[in-house]
Amino acid sequence: AADPVTLKISHQFPGGTIDAGDFRDRLCRRFAAEIEKRSGGALKGTVYAGSSLMKTNAQFSALRKGALDMSLVPLNYAGGEVPETNIGLMPGMVTSYEQAAKWKNAEVGKALSEVLANKGVIIVSWIWQAGGVASRTTPVVDPSDAKGLKIRGGSKEMDMVLKAAGAAVLDMPSNEIYAAMQTGALDAAMTSSTSLISFRLEEVAKHLTTGRGKTYWFMLEPLMISKSVFDQLPKSQQDLIMTVGAEMEKFAMEQAKADDQAVATVYQKAGGKAYDLSDASVKKWQAIARETAWKNYGEKSESCARILTLAEKLL
Amino acid sequence: MSHGVDLEGRKPSLTPQVGGVLGTLVDWQAKINSYVLFVSMLALLAACLVLTLSVVMRYFLKWPTDWQDEVSVFLLIGAVFMCGAFVQSERGHIGISALEGFFSPAANRLRLLFCDIASLAFCIFFTYKTWSMLHEAVVEGQTTSSTWGPPLWIPYGLMAAGMTLLCIQMLLQILIALKTKGEAN
Amino acid sequence: MSVGIIGVLYGLGTLIFMFSGMPIAFALGSIAVLFMFIFMPGSSLDTVTLNVYEEMANITLLSVPLFILKGAAIGKSRAGADLYLAIHAWMHKIPGGLGIANVFASALFAAMSGSSPATCSAIGSAGIPEMRARGYSPRFAAGIIAAGGTLGILLPPSIVMILFSVAAEQSLGRLFLAGIGPGILMVILFSGYAAFRYKKEYKEALDTYNQGGKKSAYLDAMRLTLYDKFRLLPRVVPFVTLLVGVMVALYGGFATPSETAGLGGILALCLIAVIYRMWRPSQLKPILSSTLKESTMLMFIIGMSLLYSYVMSYLHISQSAAESIVALSLSKWALLSVILLMVVVLGFFLPPVSIILMTAPIILPPLKAAGFDLIWFGVVMTIVMEMGLIHPPVGLNIFVIKNIAPDIPLKDIIWGVVPFVALMMFAVLLICIFPSIATGFPDAVYGLSTK
Ligand code: NA
Ligand code: NA
Repeated sequence: AADPVTLKISHQFPGGTIDAGDFRDRLCRRFAAEIEKRSGGALKGTVYAGSSLMKTNAQFSALRKGALDMSLVPLNYAGGEVPETNIGLMPGMVTSYEQAAKWKNAEVGKALSEVLANKGVIIVSWIWQAGGVASRTTPVVDPSDAKGLKIRGGSKEMDMVLKAAGAAVLDMPSNEIYAAMQTGALDAAMTSSTSLISFRLEEVAKHLTTGRGKTYWFMLEPLMISKSVFDQLPKSQQDLIMTVGAEMEKFAMEQAKADDQAVATVYQKAGGKAYDLSDASVKKWQAIARETAWKNYGEKSESCARILTLAEKLL
Repeated sequence: MSHGVDLEGRKPSLTPQVGGVLGTLVDWQAKINSYVLFVSMLALLAACLVLTLSVVMRYFLKWPTDWQDEVSVFLLIGAVFMCGAFVQSERGHIGISALEGFFSPAANRLRLLFCDIASLAFCIFFTYKTWSMLHEAVVEGQTTSSTWGPPLWIPYGLMAAGMTLLCIQMLLQILIALKTKGEAN
Repeated sequence: MSVGIIGVLYGLGTLIFMFSGMPIAFALGSIAVLFMFIFMPGSSLDTVTLNVYEEMANITLLSVPLFILKGAAIGKSRAGADLYLAIHAWMHKIPGGLGIANVFASALFAAMSGSSPATCSAIGSAGIPEMRARGYSPRFAAGIIAAGGTLGILLPPSIVMILFSVAAEQSLGRLFLAGIGPGILMVILFSGYAAFRYKKEYKEALDTYNQGGKKSAYLDAMRLTLYDKFRLLPRVVPFVTLLVGVMVALYGGFATPSETAGLGGILALCLIAVIYRMWRPSQLKPILSSTLKESTMLMFIIGMSLLYSYVMSYLHISQSAAESIVALSLSKWALLSVILLMVVVLGFFLPPVSIILMTAPIILPPLKAAGFDLIWFGVVMTIVMEMGLIHPPVGLNIFVIKNIAPDIPLKDIIWGVVPFVALMMFAVLLICIFPSIATGFPDAVYGLSTK
């Protein structure tokens, strides 16, 4: 038999073991273990956690060039290279896990896959995750709450919505969030539930708006493979990768939902308060997003406009 | 020869006087370096100002400050890469000279020449890859993925220009060493 | 070829390139590219510059030049000399008072900068000439500054601890506080050594003079009245204003950590403009050009060492080393010793940032399972990595000093730091025996750790 192929899987999240830690790291490890088992050792995976192989922003480019085999990364990080990917963190575009799960096989999913394939990247596993807002002094539930606050939205589209809501948006590296919030240079920050847990902001932020139930903040962070690497594999291994990838989606949804609950518990334990979003609140955010971020995205190119229309079909 | 800036208490330039075409090229390079150094000084000050302004705008005026970090990054990346050649001209890229004492002067000259050539080879490779990265960014219209989203050709271009200057600087130093048989070192 | 052999070859190759005398930055880059070419897929070579750019294009890392500017504004204006004159006037009766003053100045600067080379540069550019003018041997002066500079990453804020807290999923607030006790311990140890060493050098200088030799500056006694002492006191105003200004901006919630770096630079330049009338371009040029020179040298090394560590990570070298240590299933303290030893070895080649990124995910779970408090370990690991900053071949602080004081031979700098490396080992030992040196402070503030 041929030499075993080892796929290098890179991500930016804290590393752990297959059973404990950040679920996105565990998902990569499970994926690696599963392909090794089912291929009888012909296909393996090595996980590089915590950007220990390369910087987060270099991953997508490296995938395209075939310098990196696989990566689990928020899709919108590639927004500078492939503008279409900004749909991956479009406020109000996805409001529940059930809606998110439809993307993969809907027209929008196919269209997005097509764009990515042209850029040399294939989505193996569609992973969606809700997020929330950690806030220092006052809770951020409705758009009106954001007025005058110093907020790190963390993505281009989210920042647009926040600006329209009257917030003083600021850009800072994620590793500075804690210090900035501790001193008050930052009032609130938005990110996924799992990252909210690992950033430990509950020590400095007393209010949490969760992603439980319904939210305007959903992020697509797929497990992806380099097309040039994928194309070199025999058909049987290609099928194995896609099958295992699809199986991981269920695990991802369970874990993401569990973290949405867990983060609320963490804040309550630390003496903070957790708030859930009502339908009406989500609608308010969505209304602003439609006028700002969605509009801006749709005007970027024909391809973006098409994806926007297809995504709106799932609303 | 003047580098345009008088450095306090620094020894005169390590580059010896050479005549002819090479001498003219060396003079040109020194002039370019001194202009680049001047602009980099402004960039350094500008980066400080931008970050300071950022505080004022957000804290006192409550304005969004989502471009200041990136502007500062571009200014500083530009200053660092563009000054690479100037620093090389002063032999300011520090190396380990611990083994100097073990060699005869002639062997040391050869060793230094080898070091310069190996460094040049690396820098040429790096410079070439920087230009191709720049080319790709221009062709694809790549931007950063931030809210502000400025084009990436700006920092890549500064990197490419700076690395190119550095290669030329190294090449001139090697040519001088060959011509003067390393007397200057 | 096994990972172990590749790892050994990589280490040997690095040593050869470095000791050839090539600039460190290009030596690191060359060996990285060479191994990429031999052992990695061809497409990796296409991402070399992208990797360097992405690593460097980060305002946290690029705040290093701004910290250096702040230090240069003080160090290269009369502000630095005035500060030392005032401190010396008050402390000259204490043996090694000036050396101790430098240790304290380093600690204060460390509290407003997150990087060790920047701390080293800020204090050293005024401190080294000052100490040498007062008779301190170059070796001694260099040692104090190199060691004092390492406090930059031990005392908060610290770039290294930020990364550790993320990798270890530990509270950053706790980790920052845990650095303070050991930071103070090191200030005490360094000061004690400075006093001891001063006495020794003073006695040697005295003996030489009595035997008819040269009169060292050590022997120039300073006779100052109390009036003189108070008259000199206002000279610390510029430094104190800067310190307070930066602290208020950072801890008062006005600025983010990287904004503070820029603000500090502007504040320092404004202070010397107002107080020393240094505002003309011709006066500012030396400050700016030395900042650029030093920053360029450092950022080239940091950028290339990140490329170097990318190759190391891709080839799984440090990860395999860490994994094989874990596989030994050693007892609690043996495990710790071996892991720290590995950190020391990696410290020969890598800056702290890279060591954490590559090894933390592998070494932390077994350490946690063995019952170590990861906050405590974070502090111990930081001190061990600080040692790497002051020992060759890649010791960023050493290069900074070489740049500030080019006439001090590298050999002297290295011999100068040896006693301080020993003191740091001693500090690690103390913190192992009395863990509360590190954990006491955070426990007092946040309550006992629940782990
Ligand atoms: Na610090
Ligand atoms: Na070292």
